[in-house]
Amino acid sequence: MAPAQQTGRVRHRLVLLTLVAITLLTLDLRGFESARTAQGLVRDLLHPVNTLASAVFSPVGDLWNSLFDYDELEAENAALRQELDAVRGAAIQAEADSSAYQQLLESLDLPYAADVTTVAARVARGPVGNFAGDVVTIDKGHRHGLSEGMAVVTGAGLVGRVERVDGVTSTVQLLSDPSLLVGVRLVSTNDVGLGHAVPGEPGMFIVNQGPNWPRITDTALLPEVGSAVVTDADSRYTADVPIGRVVEVRPAADDLSLEVLVELANDVEDLAFVSVLITAQREDPAPAEVVPSTSVPLDLDPDLLDPPEEGGADEVNQ
Amino acid sequence: MIPLRLGALILLAVVVQVTVFADVRVSGVAPELLVLLAVMFGYWFGPRRGPTAAFAAGLFWDVYLPTPLGLSAIVFVVVSFAAAAGGAELFRDSKLQLATIAGFGTFAAVVGYALLGEVMGQRGLVDLEMLRVALIAGAINALAAPLTRPLLAWSIGPPTGLEGAGAVR
Repeated sequence: MAPAQQTGRVRHRLVLLTLVAITLLTLDLRGFESARTAQGLVRDLLHPVNTLASAVFSPVGDLWNSLFDYDELEAENAALRQELDAVRGAAIQAEADSSAYQQLLESLDLPYAADVTTVAARVARGPVGNFAGDVVTIDKGHRHGLSEGMAVVTGAGLVGRVERVDGVTSTVQLLSDPSLLVGVRLVSTNDVGLGHAVPGEPGMFIVNQGPNWPRITDTALLPEVGSAVVTDADSRYTADVPIGRVVEVRPAADDLSLEVLVELANDVEDLAFVSVLITAQREDPAPAEVVPSTSVPLDLDPDLLDPPEEGGADEVNQ
Repeated sequence: MIPLRLGALILLAVVVQVTVFADVRVSGVAPELLVLLAVMFGYWFGPRRGPTAAFAAGLFWDVYLPTPLGLSAIVFVVVSFAAAAGGAELFRDSKLQLATIAGFGTFAAVVGYALLGEVMGQRGLVDLEMLRVALIAGAINALAAPLTRPLLAWSIGPPTGLEGAGAVR
């Protein structure tokens, strides 16, 4: 074959492959259900192979981590030993304080997932690749009643949300992902706001916006340091799931509003088992039909076209 | 027979990437085995068949990634073609040149994936951490490339993409 002809074929093939990839990208970004179903099917088909491979290769991972993360493990052991000593002491004190603890729970109103059906799941694997640091895969899926958006928790509180559900596995977007916004309630002030993880600061969460969010001058409305932060009843998740505790209240970059820094109750980087709260998912409201501003909708009540009475415009503006 | 073996090789790479390299990381960076495969396909098969095989590998890898389907595939096609073009310019097919192509190819693939991901609406992919990941992944793949030669030769035969290269050392 002549070199020019060969070059032409290579070019055609490259263009074809690029076009196929762009088509797939477009379909996926537009939420084409068949493409997602096909991907889920492939993952489900390969799940037994991956499970087997995980079992076979887990000694390799263990060996690697024991070789290269030895110092980290030693430090972790020391910290755990210290923590265990503290827990032993606290256990004795807890007997005396249990009634106070109950009162505290009641006062904080944290009936945490008491009446909600939960599904326990094992974390099958951590993040895959180098650009998905804040997701884990759990070994429960559609067949176990999971659906997208459900809250994932541990005994300590919220861990994240179910992001993608296959037949027998699901991907969980962890609370450490700064793009995951959570509607929260500051228990000490009852303020409601939106929060997210702080990029580059593992274990920290920041609440800095919300309806009627207090300004820095509203000193009476500052939440107490150490007070609890839980999911709000109007958020996408079950109400009153613990998020963490307030560690700092500081002015935002604009020096006008507040930023509430929260230490997460969960260590989302070291999870083995989690529970999924099986709750009905709220659907986002359907977008209103777009009507050009100069036209009159066909189904508009003709009475509304009458000129408003005195004061009517003011009422509308309010 | 070759497509079957090629499929098996890609499947093996995906399984190892998903299971082993979820835990085994160097300074927190997982080796990019599928990217290495895409570069090697370009080097091995040349610009005509290399990008096609790389596309298949990228598409399979996309199934496991949170980014949209086709993102890795498109990056792998480009990188594989570049590796094929680079390989064809070689006078000799040496391990050092292969390692260099694998290292640069991986760096370019990681950066390209992050940039294209940002363009497609994924947030937080482009930052200094991306450069660190690309450098480490590039270094790992540069070291691993000569080791994967025998595996490729065993599964899909001798290289056909080195029209410009001399005798294999």
